[in-house]
Amino acid sequence: MSTTTIDTPNTDAARATTKAMLCEGNEAAALAVALARPDMVAVYPITPQTSLVEKLASLIAEGRMDADIVDAEGEHSVLSVLQGGALAGARTYTATCGPGLAFMFEPYLRTSGMRLPLVMTIVTRDGITPQSVWGGHQDAMTVRESGWIQMYCETVQEVLDTTVMAFKLAEHHDVMLPVNVCLDGNYLSYGASRIELPEQAEVDAFMGAKDVNWHVALDPQRPMAVDPLTGGSGGNGPETFARYRRGQCRGMQSALRVITEIHEEWGQRFGHHFAPLVEEYRLDDAEYAIMTLGSMTGAAKDAIDEARAAGEKVGLIKIKTFSPFPVAALKHALRSVRALGVVDRSVAFRWNCGPMFQETLGVLYRLGRHIPAQSFIGGLAGADLTTAIFHRVIDETRALLTRPASDEPVWLNAKD
Amino acid sequence: MGQAYSTIAFDASKCDGCGECMKACAGAKFESDDVRRSLIQIMPKAAAATGVAAKGAFELALCRQCGDPKCVTVCPAGALGKDGATGVIDWDASKCVDCLLCTIGCSYAGIALDEYTGRVSKCDTCDGKPACVPACPTGALRHVTTARIYNEVGGWEDLFAPGLAGCQGCNTELLMRHTLRRVGPDTVLATPPGCVPGMGSVGFNGTTGTKVPVFHPLLTNTAAMLAGVKRQYERVGRKVTAMAIAGDGGASDVGFQSLSGAAERGERILFMVVDNEGYMNTGMQRSSCTPYGAWTSTTPVGAHTRGKTQDAKNLPLIMVNHRCAYVATASTAYMEDLYAKLDKALEASEHGFAYLHVYSPCTTGWRFQSAMNIEVARKAVESNFVTLWEYTPETGLSFSRPVDRPLPVVDYLKAMGRFRHLSPEQIEHIQNKVEENLRFVQKIAEKEHG
Repeated sequence: MSTTTIDTPNTDAARATTKAMLCEGNEAAALAVALARPDMVAVYPITPQTSLVEKLASLIAEGRMDADIVDAEGEHSVLSVLQGGALAGARTYTATCGPGLAFMFEPYLRTSGMRLPLVMTIVTRDGITPQSVWGGHQDAMTVRESGWIQMYCETVQEVLDTTVMAFKLAEHHDVMLPVNVCLDGNYLSYGASRIELPEQAEVDAFMGAKDVNWHVALDPQRPMAVDPLTGGSGGNGPETFARYRRGQCRGMQSALRVITEIHEEWGQRFGHHFAPLVEEYRLDDAEYAIMTLGSMTGAAKDAIDEARAAGEKVGLIKIKTFSPFPVAALKHALRSVRALGVVDRSVAFRWNCGPMFQETLGVLYRLGRHIPAQSFIGGLAGADLTTAIFHRVIDETRALLTRPASDEPVWLNAKD
Repeated sequence: MGQAYSTIAFDASKCDGCGECMKACAGAKFESDDVRRSLIQIMPKAAAATGVAAKGAFELALCRQCGDPKCVTVCPAGALGKDGATGVIDWDASKCVDCLLCTIGCSYAGIALDEYTGRVSKCDTCDGKPACVPACPTGALRHVTTARIYNEVGGWEDLFAPGLAGCQGCNTELLMRHTLRRVGPDTVLATPPGCVPGMGSVGFNGTTGTKVPVFHPLLTNTAAMLAGVKRQYERVGRKVTAMAIAGDGGASDVGFQSLSGAAERGERILFMVVDNEGYMNTGMQRSSCTPYGAWTSTTPVGAHTRGKTQDAKNLPLIMVNHRCAYVATASTAYMEDLYAKLDKALEASEHGFAYLHVYSPCTTGWRFQSAMNIEVARKAVESNFVTLWEYTPETGLSFSRPVDRPLPVVDYLKAMGRFRHLSPEQIEHIQNKVEENLRFVQKIAEKEHG
């Protein structure tokens, strides 16, 4: 899709240096990457990510972006090239989804272990079999124990802004972890919205100096062995290994604070305020709440507004940062809630529920809260999650105030 | 480290006694056509003195320029002395008292009485360019100048830590130390899982075995990771060599996709495969480079199977078909050839993908005594089981060490325990395959040159 400038708002001082335009989520992600000035992008096309990497290629071809583009022979090499680049000091980026993410799984695991600050968009896609090329969160959810930060976006603007922020987050010395910006396939990837594009100079000021491989490098000027064999049954090996793992966990926990700080700074600089970890929507006096992730949130908010208008004391919790899971922020959001419905666009096979529901059960236990909670699964393989469907979610969650939750998930788009 | 010297080597199996070397020597040294004046003498072996001229029936009388020369020791006048720089044993006519003791001291008949002058004379290697060697039509004489490598390169810094934990007799460590000396410190080295990191090049538990930046890529992504490193240094204008020392297993099997992709993109890296024909670090399992008939722990010998049932994948030829900037095969038995190719590969890696395939016998996995490594490597080449050649898109493919009179392949096979079980039919299959492979490469060489 071509980029069309529809107006240039100069009313708000904070937005004086932005340009408004109409664009799709994939295009917004590519424009954000250009603003972050990576040295190297490696690409391989896959539906529904393809138009994103095509946009990057055209930005570079047109000279609007100064980066080395590597057209690799597959996602496995895409991520491997970027690892090499990062170890030599490059700021790096790629995007993938579904089978592509599965194919890059081996280097994917290593990226967080080497603490490389890669940024990668997952244009989320449902499972490989049954075959589907449409949206769903199963790909990103499947890799949730890999040490990457994962943030899910609700709107095209949030995709753009979060993608820029992801670079600063990844390179933060207290974090130094790779970041996935999760962009709902089809709904956000191809859905065009009005966005405001920040000016390059403002983004440069926000980003500050590039600082990629201060801790681990492949550089003849400071020779080191990267990733020597570590562990064993004796000596300092196992202790060293445990120290690495603990460092990764600390990086993940630090990310909760850093994500919050970066979102705060972004809001101040650009006037776009997004909840960094958990968005609380009409929760102040809510007796019960529903929980959402990604692009479904818009329809859910409409349903909440309608239920509120009808006198229902219901609110919404949107998870922005899924990994690390925002336990403390959820504690605040759940403060007055007595029943909870959690909507997932993927499944946790082991628990017969959605993965976000499963994570939330852990939070409730840690908080000592024994409130009824119901898993809803919908939006698989590109299915619509409409306002009407969210009314059903709201109704069934309200019912939990007077009866226990079912052990079975509620399948929102399923044929009976 | 002691000094090494060039030498003139004689292969009796190639000599047919034609005498061209003697003519060349007599001409070069004395402007004479009398072969009796030649300082190199080819003569029938004592036992075959009455027989007809046949290969293997001749022996050589020539000064070996010995490291511990008896002629020098016995000379009472101090007329003979070994030159420390060239290794040549010089005869000083002004000091010689013509006692001829030196001719008795030499067991090679390398110094003898010249009847024309009444004094002794001996080979001085023509100042490093012996006239006899190029005159030999059968290649029985070779001027071995490998000494250059040990003298020049041996003095350069060894970029691996001492005490890498290779198996006894492993020549991969030899290869690594020589290679990195030549490649130098401005290098990022990738050593994917296999024997090379297994012996400690990347290190264990926070240590490192290499003095240049080194990393342990996945078995699957070596070429891609290196490409990323190299591209970033090019982007910031720094000259850094990106080099892999990889095993054949990862490169030919699970890592082939990234290798092929990087070659297709012309990534400017140097990819060296150390081919020991299997996954020897994990306990001798077969790879797609394992030859037909070989015992491995996954192609065992039993009642139903007799080793590997497929022929080896010819990885270097596959790389030729990528039209890499440089592709060559090499062997640790021919270090001079290897060095020449390493130089070319390094240069090529500055403008394109350079691929070097080094055949490296594995003492443990191939089952032979550890002292025999270089001998096994040499037999592989002498039987044409392994062919040594190089390729560039500009010059095509050419053999660097053609073998005109190959050993029967069984001479190579019987040097190893892994082929001990072979039936005559299996040996015949391998012999046929060797000849087929040779014809195939020869055709490419002819075509490329034609």
